[in-house]
Amino acid sequence: MKTYTFKGGVYPQERKELSRDVPISEVIPSSKTVTIPVTMGGATNVPVVKVGDKVVKGQLIADSDQFVSAPVHASISGTVKEIGLHLVTGNSKVSCITIEGDGSDSTAYMEPLDPFTCDKNDAIKRIRDAGIVGMGGAAFPTHVKMAPPPGSKIDYVILNAAECEPYLTIDYRVLKETPHKVIDGLSIIMKITGGKGIIALENNKLDLLETLKAQIIKENRSKDIEIRVVKTKYPQGGEKNLIKACLNREVPTGGLPANVGCIVSNVGTACAIADAFRLGKPLIERPLTISGGGCETPKNIVVPVGTIVSDLIPEAVSIKADKVVKLLSGGPMMGYAMVSADFPIAKGTSGVLFLTADEVNMDAEIPCIGCGKCIESCPMGLSPTLLVNVLKVRNTDKAKKMGLMDCIECGSCAYVCPANVPIVQKIRLGKAILKRQMAPKPAAKPAVKPVGGNA
Amino acid sequence: MADLGLTNLKVNSSPHFSNGERPCDLMRLVIIALLPITVYGVILFGMSALVQILVSVVCAVAFEALFQFLTKQKITISDCSAVVTGLIFALTLPPTCPIWQTILGILFGIVLAKGFFGGLGSNVYNPALAGRAFLFVSFPSSMGASWLKPGTDAISSATILSEIKEGAAAGNATTYLQYFFGNRAGCIGETGIILILIAFVFLLITKVIDWRATIAMLATVAIATAIAGGDALLAVLTGGLVFGAVFMVTDYATSPVTKPGRLVFGAACGLITFLIRKFGGYPEGVMFSILIMNSFKAFLDNLSGRKYGYKKAGAKK
Repeated sequence: MKTYTFKGGVYPQERKELSRDVPISEVIPSSKTVTIPVTMGGATNVPVVKVGDKVVKGQLIADSDQFVSAPVHASISGTVKEIGLHLVTGNSKVSCITIEGDGSDSTAYMEPLDPFTCDKNDAIKRIRDAGIVGMGGAAFPTHVKMAPPPGSKIDYVILNAAECEPYLTIDYRVLKETPHKVIDGLSIIMKITGGKGIIALENNKLDLLETLKAQIIKENRSKDIEIRVVKTKYPQGGEKNLIKACLNREVPTGGLPANVGCIVSNVGTACAIADAFRLGKPLIERPLTISGGGCETPKNIVVPVGTIVSDLIPEAVSIKADKVVKLLSGGPMMGYAMVSADFPIAKGTSGVLFLTADEVNMDAEIPCIGCGKCIESCPMGLSPTLLVNVLKVRNTDKAKKMGLMDCIECGSCAYVCPANVPIVQKIRLGKAILKRQMAPKPAAKPAVKPVGGNA
Repeated sequence: MADLGLTNLKVNSSPHFSNGERPCDLMRLVIIALLPITVYGVILFGMSALVQILVSVVCAVAFEALFQFLTKQKITISDCSAVVTGLIFALTLPPTCPIWQTILGILFGIVLAKGFFGGLGSNVYNPALAGRAFLFVSFPSSMGASWLKPGTDAISSATILSEIKEGAAAGNATTYLQYFFGNRAGCIGETGIILILIAFVFLLITKVIDWRATIAMLATVAIATAIAGGDALLAVLTGGLVFGAVFMVTDYATSPVTKPGRLVFGAACGLITFLIRKFGGYPEGVMFSILIMNSFKAFLDNLSGRKYGYKKAGAKK
């Protein structure tokens, strides 16, 4: 079988053995309380419930009138206790709705909808109503992807089963335990968009090959769903890199996968889509991996969206608290280091890692030695060290020409950097400065002096 | 929220992983690659070569530490870059070079060409070559007027390069082999072509260096010599070309970081080497060609490869 891949990338230690053989278990937070961010992907939502309201599992609690937005639903039944700022992934405090559970099992799901007979617009509406966003981490509203810009025709739907981040095994477990749901979700996306299906599987998960093949045959889909094995390399599961690997197409700079006839969907997202149609269930549960050397019980779990991480400890997860030096929301290559465990698991949270000093990089930065390894490793063909140089003198014009905004922040450059330069951090800062410079300036207000601008 | 005792949490930007390869690891690999060449140089040219090498390495480290101490900088000799500079510098010297000149040369390289420019990574000119060039123009008599024949005490007045220049040399199978295995007059480390090529392959496999600049330089010299009617193989085997192409043109700080930049850099080094050998006032041009091209490093970094999602190479540059 041919193995597909892309240029660049790195080979970090996988460390998936910690949790890959642990079946997914359902976990309810010990406090019976969830804290659900009002906005998880897309434009800012507004709460549609008030403190004191009774809510039922699956009930809409926040929404927006913007197209690029995704509504949010109650993940447990109970009473709205508080609407206020709470720490979330990324260490910022945003508006969250706290629901105290009453232990009841009542639900307020939508009516099931047959995706293969319903109208395309109804199907897209259902995906939006279910609040489905990309569950790989970026949390982009899925219904927006399903409605590509006019003039572009989708011919391939790629199911992203690469799971290239170290430690994370949740996509693997979902594929192993519920292949029918994944294939069903993929089939629904293919029905809506009219594309053929490709399942892109990294070759460290070849044991899934037979399961998936059998499932495809069982569903009589072997004509339009194909499995492509991709090399185990980071960031193989990056949307743009996966398209390059599987189809040898490149998403034009500033464009979307739809511009080259593709949609890439995460495994979790496909399952959520299947549930949205078959059960009428919105995206209120999140399967994820809890792992790391500081975690005594690495496992794969599914929790209500809004579960506070510290509410899993010690009932569901035990940790060696004194050994943990980093608490990550997400994987070690792109995840966020958190200041405390008091943050909710959101729709886009694919893992929570408790890492010890032996596992993470804590070396100090030294000056660049000019080895060029970052350029070699960049999956986007950029020159990270040179970008850092021009950003050092705040030359955002040149940085833009050098592809600053094309950086996917995968971290391959910083991973290989012998001088341990925090390249991604510098590039993120550069992007933020450039975005502020490009933003239309409000005419009425006096010009605000840009912090660290081009002056 | 329950107190979990998570008191040691560190927060920083992703990625949180590193492959853990630090400059000292890379330098150590370069030293390993240079060791067989060093040993062979000592076998060929005897004790005086060994003394040269030891003095050069010790002085390189000492001068770097002293300079950083006097200028109140962090002392970074543990990155081993001074050892590499000292070793490479010694290997480019004729075995007959007086020791005090060796010391002066490495002082120039480490302090003027590297320290004053900001240390490892910031130097514009290759420190070892800068030191050598300093000796070459200051003491021409000891830097190329007389050469030691390997295994003997016989002094000859010319190497094959000057004979080629005078039109007196032509290669045959025996001379090719002789040059390939290094049994000829020359600098301490430049003659054992076979060992240098093994080092090249080793450094490629360990991903310390990139092939582009080296191959571009060797190919350009060979092609240019052939076009000019010379002996391409002899041109590659003689002088310090292979040594320079493997260890100098690939120097991190002083060569371009982009792939197209490295190709152009290597090719330009090769072309200038050829021009100096053919038309210039010196028999050998490797040193000056690389030093000249060092000046163009930052400029050549503007040549970048094609970026993902862009149509033509460098079109949006």
